[in-house]
Amino acid sequence: MGVIARESSVVRVNAAGRSTPLSDVWRYRGMLRSLVVRNLKVKYQRSALGFVWTFLNPLLTVGILAAVFSRVVRIPIPHYWAFLVSGYFTWNFTQQMLSTGTYVIAEHTGLRRSVAFPNEVLVLSAAVSRLLEFAIELAFVLLALVLLHHHGVPASFALLPLLVVLQVVLAVGLVMPIATVSVFYSDVQHALPIALMMLFYVSPVFYPAALVPAGLQGLYFLNPLAGLLTLFHVVLYEGRFPAPALLAGTGAGAAVLFALGYVVFNRYKALFAEVV
Amino acid sequence: MAAPAVVCRGVVKRFHHYEHRTTSLREFFIRTVLRRPIHVRRAQFTLRGLDLRVARGESVALIGSNGSGKSTALRLMAGIYQPSEGVIETRGALAAVIELGAGFHPELTGAENAELYASVMGLSRAEVAARFPEIVAFADIGDFINEPVKYYSSGMQARLAFAVAVCVRPDILLLDEVLAVGDQAFRERCLERLRAFRAGGGTMIVVSHDFETVRELCPRAVWMHHGLVRMDGEFGAVFEAYRAEHG
Repeated sequence: MGVIARESSVVRVNAAGRSTPLSDVWRYRGMLRSLVVRNLKVKYQRSALGFVWTFLNPLLTVGILAAVFSRVVRIPIPHYWAFLVSGYFTWNFTQQMLSTGTYVIAEHTGLRRSVAFPNEVLVLSAAVSRLLEFAIELAFVLLALVLLHHHGVPASFALLPLLVVLQVVLAVGLVMPIATVSVFYSDVQHALPIALMMLFYVSPVFYPAALVPAGLQGLYFLNPLAGLLTLFHVVLYEGRFPAPALLAGTGAGAAVLFALGYVVFNRYKALFAEVV
Repeated sequence: MAAPAVVCRGVVKRFHHYEHRTTSLREFFIRTVLRRPIHVRRAQFTLRGLDLRVARGESVALIGSNGSGKSTALRLMAGIYQPSEGVIETRGALAAVIELGAGFHPELTGAENAELYASVMGLSRAEVAARFPEIVAFADIGDFINEPVKYYSSGMQARLAFAVAVCVRPDILLLDEVLAVGDQAFRERCLERLRAFRAGGGTMIVVSHDFETVRELCPRAVWMHHGLVRMDGEFGAVFEAYRAEHG
């Protein structure tokens, strides 16, 4: 599908010196900021209830899941709602990020055909805008947990920033290859909802990973979301510090996926302007 | 001699026509199973080895018939496309005006789009804020600046896009068929601005079929033909040769 240029190079010498992917992204932080502001403005400017919609969707889902799995199919967990909200918003963040991947490159065709900028910024801007919404959701979740579940602030909440970093690294790592393949194959947008539906059931979103039979745990935790969501459950719902192995394993998984995702993205990004 | 602003050495650009641009995975599997080649793309050469050297402060017109590779050459220099082979070097901040206003978001106001566009061109937040009054003044579209761009005429969009590009104050300005926009008064102001840009030592590469205008802006012309430089030299001489062939 891609052609890698032979004996070709583009050398740009700017006031800031030669450019590398990292320095590029830093140099374009103004653009990143503008794109984030634009994403949120476009999303909310003509909607009277605005952010309420963003919050209402997961809230209703949480409500129905909480009703079904604490009353009908009983999952034996005290304060089931608290367990559910501890991980659900992270799942929601991941799911929406992955969907964004199917259109984030195509959406900026006009811009990309007229100006050169690092494509990474598009993916990052989607992540940052979604992260800002997540931060507000998380604030509500924390408030509810502190007031109604823990009746205090557990020390483990201090780990939360680290977990959010893992969540973003993992989501961006997964979204980069999705965005890349979406440029060439429109099938991704049909396949992704199915994949997400399956991922929902094999990830500990509405049940704890501990319910998975011991013999399957090894396989189960190959899903990087299993580790991430369990971390959120331990830190937010149980209010305990997680086992170092779980933290290290999830961190390593996220880092590896990010690296792989970036390799794919980086290899084909030069073709984005030509194809879409 | 000072380092040149733009250098292209043996630049080849092949485009691959993805014959099934919306290629489906099903097709991919069928081809894989039947062992048919999945390389359904056909390579088409747009540039076959472009050599060009533009000194700092020089103004060059790229002329040639449609499909000769002028716009592709500009996009390569702008970094929008990557070369298939060869080396491109640019020195200094670069702004390209290609497909005026194509990157505008219809729901955002002109002011918001201008800020976005300027930041995409690499300006920092402080720089955008500092240049903003200049952009608004140059575009001169009155109160429309605070209206969503979807209510703009194409001329107004072009004016705004052009205003942003020149107010970014690049060292190298690449222009693709953008001199034909706006009314007479606005064109005159654009030309004025470009003359000032030249006088200030800016480097300019212009693709245009508006020969009367580029003749005045560019002392040098490069005639491109089928992806190669056919002739490179003083504008009058190159233009005469081009005209002799194309009538």
